[in-house]
Amino acid sequence: MNEAALKELLFRLADDEVVIGHRNAEWTGHGPILEEDIAFSSMAQDEIGHAQIYYSLLHELGEADPDQLAFNRASADFRCAQLVELPKGDWAFSVARQFLYDAVETVRLAALSHSSYQPLAQAARKFAGEEKYHFMHGKSWIANLGQATPESRAKLQAALDQAFPYAQGLFEMTDADAAIVAEGLQAPEVELKKESLALIMPIVTGAGLTLPDAAPIEGGRRGRHTEHLVALLNDMQLVFRTDPEATW
Amino acid sequence: MPDTQWEVYEVFHQKARGEQHVHVGSVHAPNPEMALVLAKEQYARRMACVNLWVVKASDIHASEYADQDMFAHATDKSYREAYGYKVVKKVRDKETRELKELREPEDE
Repeated sequence: MNEAALKELLFRLADDEVVIGHRNAEWTGHGPILEEDIAFSSMAQDEIGHAQIYYSLLHELGEADPDQLAFNRASADFRCAQLVELPKGDWAFSVARQFLYDAVETVRLAALSHSSYQPLAQAARKFAGEEKYHFMHGKSWIANLGQATPESRAKLQAALDQAFPYAQGLFEMTDADAAIVAEGLQAPEVELKKESLALIMPIVTGAGLTLPDAAPIEGGRRGRHTEHLVALLNDMQLVFRTDPEATW
Repeated sequence: MPDTQWEVYEVFHQKARGEQHVHVGSVHAPNPEMALVLAKEQYARRMACVNLWVVKASDIHASEYADQDMFAHATDKSYREAYGYKVVKKVRDKETRELKELREPEDE
C-alpha cells in the first residue's frame, strides 16, 4: 500500500472536519434562534468527532496522537481546503458553506465506504447517519432562506457566490491523487465533483438561487492557506499549547 | 411591527418501534420540515429514538382550565381502577406462592 498517499488523504479529511467543526462552534451562543444554536453546535461536535477518528487512523499509521495532530501542528501542515477556514461571516454564509460542504461530504463518504483501506471504509459507513442529518439540515435552510424574503434570498445568493469557488477547492488534487485512485483508496476527485454538483444543483435551483460561473480557489491541499487559518489555529490551539504535557 | 416569531410545534418522540410516541416538548419553526430538523437535535440527541412527530401547536384543541372541575370525582370511583378490586390481594397471594415454589422446588 502507498502509505504516503493514504496519509495525505486522511489529513485532508481530518483537517477539513476539525477546522469546520471549530468554525461552526463559533455560533454557539450566537445562533439565529435557540433551537438552531443547539442544532448547529451539535453538528459542529459531530464534525470534530469525525476528525478525531480520522486522526486516530493516522496515529495507527505511526503519526502522533490525535491531540498532537489537531493542536500541535502549524497552519502550513494542515491539508484542509480554504473553504472551511474562512470566517463564519453572517448566518447566510455559514448556511451556504455548510450546505456545500455537507453535499460534498455526503458524496465523498459514500465513495469512501468502498475504500480499499478497511478502517477508512468502516469509519465512512459509521458517519453516514450523522451526515444524512447534516445534509437534511442544510437543504432545509437553503430552501427556507432562498424563499423567505427578498432580503434573505439576496444574502444567501451573495453567500453562495462567495463560498462556491472555495467549495470547488475541496476537490483540489496533488501528486498523491494518482496513487489514491490506483490503490482504490477513494474514487477520483473529478468524479466526486461531478456527483456533488448533481446533488447541489437541483436544490440551489429549486430555492430560486444560482451558482456563480467562477474558477475554483485552491491551495489548501498543498498547505497554502488564508490568513484566517493562522488566526483560527492560534485560537483553537491556545489552551493545548499553554501546557502540552497536561492530562485531561 | 411584523411578527417575526416562528410558530410553535409540539414534539413527540418514539423510543422504539411499536412503542407509543411521547410528548417531550416543543420547538419554534417556520414549517413542519424545519420543525423535524430542529426537533432532532433538541430531543433526540441523547435518548434513543427511531421516529419523531411534530404537530403545529395551534392545531391542538385543548380543554379549558376553567373547566378543570369537570375532571374531579364527586363520589368514590375507585371501582374504576384496577387497585379498587379485592381480587388484587388474591392475585398477589398466588404470585407469592408461585414464586416461593419456584425458589424452593425441593418442597414438592
